[in-house]
Amino acid sequence: MQGFIYLVSAYAIVWVGLFAYLAVIMMRIRGVRTELAAVQELVREQQEKPTTS
Amino acid sequence: MIFLEQVIAILWKDVRYELRSKQMWTGMGLFALLVLVIFNFTFDLRVDNVAAIAPGALWVAFVFASLLGLGRTIAAEREIGSMDRLLLCPVDRKAIYLAKLLGNMLFIGVVEIVALPIFAALFNVPLFVGALLPIVLLSTLGIAAVGTLFSAMAAATRARELLLPILVFPLIVPIVIGAVRATGTLLAPAVNEPPWLGLIAAFDVIFLTVSMLTFEYVIEE
Amino acid sequence: MALANRDTQTKHRDTRMGTPGQHKNTRPPIASLALLTLTFIGMMTSIFMIFLYVPTDAIEGIPQRIFYFHVPIAWIGMLAFGVLAVASIGYLWKKDERWDWLARASAEVGTIFITLALITGSIWGRTTWGTWWTWDARLTTTLILWFIYIGYMMLRGYMGRTPASARSGAVLAIVGVIDVPIIYESVNWWRTLHPQAEVGTPGALPPEVVLTLMISLVTFTLLYSFLMVQIYQLQKMQALAQQLHADIE
Repeated sequence: MQGFIYLVSAYAIVWVGLFAYLAVIMMRIRGVRTELAAVQELVREQQEKPTTS
Repeated sequence: MIFLEQVIAILWKDVRYELRSKQMWTGMGLFALLVLVIFNFTFDLRVDNVAAIAPGALWVAFVFASLLGLGRTIAAEREIGSMDRLLLCPVDRKAIYLAKLLGNMLFIGVVEIVALPIFAALFNVPLFVGALLPIVLLSTLGIAAVGTLFSAMAAATRARELLLPILVFPLIVPIVIGAVRATGTLLAPAVNEPPWLGLIAAFDVIFLTVSMLTFEYVIEE
Repeated sequence: MALANRDTQTKHRDTRMGTPGQHKNTRPPIASLALLTLTFIGMMTSIFMIFLYVPTDAIEGIPQRIFYFHVPIAWIGMLAFGVLAVASIGYLWKKDERWDWLARASAEVGTIFITLALITGSIWGRTTWGTWWTWDARLTTTLILWFIYIGYMMLRGYMGRTPASARSGAVLAIVGVIDVPIIYESVNWWRTLHPQAEVGTPGALPPEVVLTLMISLVTFTLLYSFLMVQIYQLQKMQALAQQLHADIE
């Protein structure tokens, strides 16, 4: 019984760990996409205005 | 200027600069001694097990003191900006590395020379056994070889005092193991000991080479 | 769900010439989805095999099944370090930022895997030899490797996203990969002085064990590849965002 608990906890840690990491990755990708979209918007605005910058 | 002249020139400049500021020397020396004293309290040192503990205490003191001293020249140079001027000169980057390395070794070596007799006295171990010098020399060379390279790296960051030990400690594990075991064998000769000095020497050769080749990538801004 | 795909088509050269990427044509993330599906299939197969196919170990009993996760995870952790080293050499040689993206990705994923390897290994050790830890060569070297990974992540974190950071990281990785075998050997020598219960399964392994292990290894390699693709694209986008920020100012 003792061994079974260890087995389950080992696998649980791996799965929880991997899923948590995956979730973090998804959040980071979404975050970068938003940031990228925002910056590209800024770039486009800058290009449209013929400013002396 | 040929290579060797460059090395000596930079080294001489560093040594003169260090001689002017005594704080680092005394700081490092006292630190090493303190570590030795603390070891006395943390381990129950009876006569019979002193040979087992003493080498460890010695090398912990040396390694920690070395790490204190390793950050000094490169960090100081970055602060006053003399590193940038040095990099502008057509000086071989390997020469800079060697000069820093030798400077560090001199620096650490002085601390070791001072700490060793005190260590011998505190722990009551016979000190001036023949093979001690090569052990200390080669081990210091290994620690300094890796440490000089990484102190250049860490110097560019804010948290250099924290980062340098984190980077260097794992990498010098073979030296630490070898130095402690080799010193231990000196004090209490054992049979079938692996060739620790050979290991340290091999480590030195490998990482001296690697550091010299990669230093240029690390030092440029 | 936010999977990495190839929608950021803009190369650096384009942005410097002022062509903002008009990439509303987001291509479906084929590579990501394919790898994810394969990983899922592999994981299901592995779980089946680990829990229902492989016979229970006579000596260690049920907890021995941890082995089928622990070993592949540890191997992938080592593989990731190898990839990190190769990418580092590639970066120093070619000076192409993409090698650095690869390096950072592999460092990140590798750190996760080595951490999991240490944890599962510790639990497995607890069941097998009764201790959470032992200083044998393999475990010790894995721990040192973990520290090198962490050191790498800290260095890159402190130095930011600059060429100097990439070069320093690369040098660290190269020094590390050369050092790890030396560390392993030196710990081995050190341990022969205190021989204790050895880690690992002695003798030949029965074919079911080997097969399950191999399937599990393939699964985790697929998982590694999937994660690498995600992080690589993430690095690419972050680099691009930084580049654009710089262009604006």
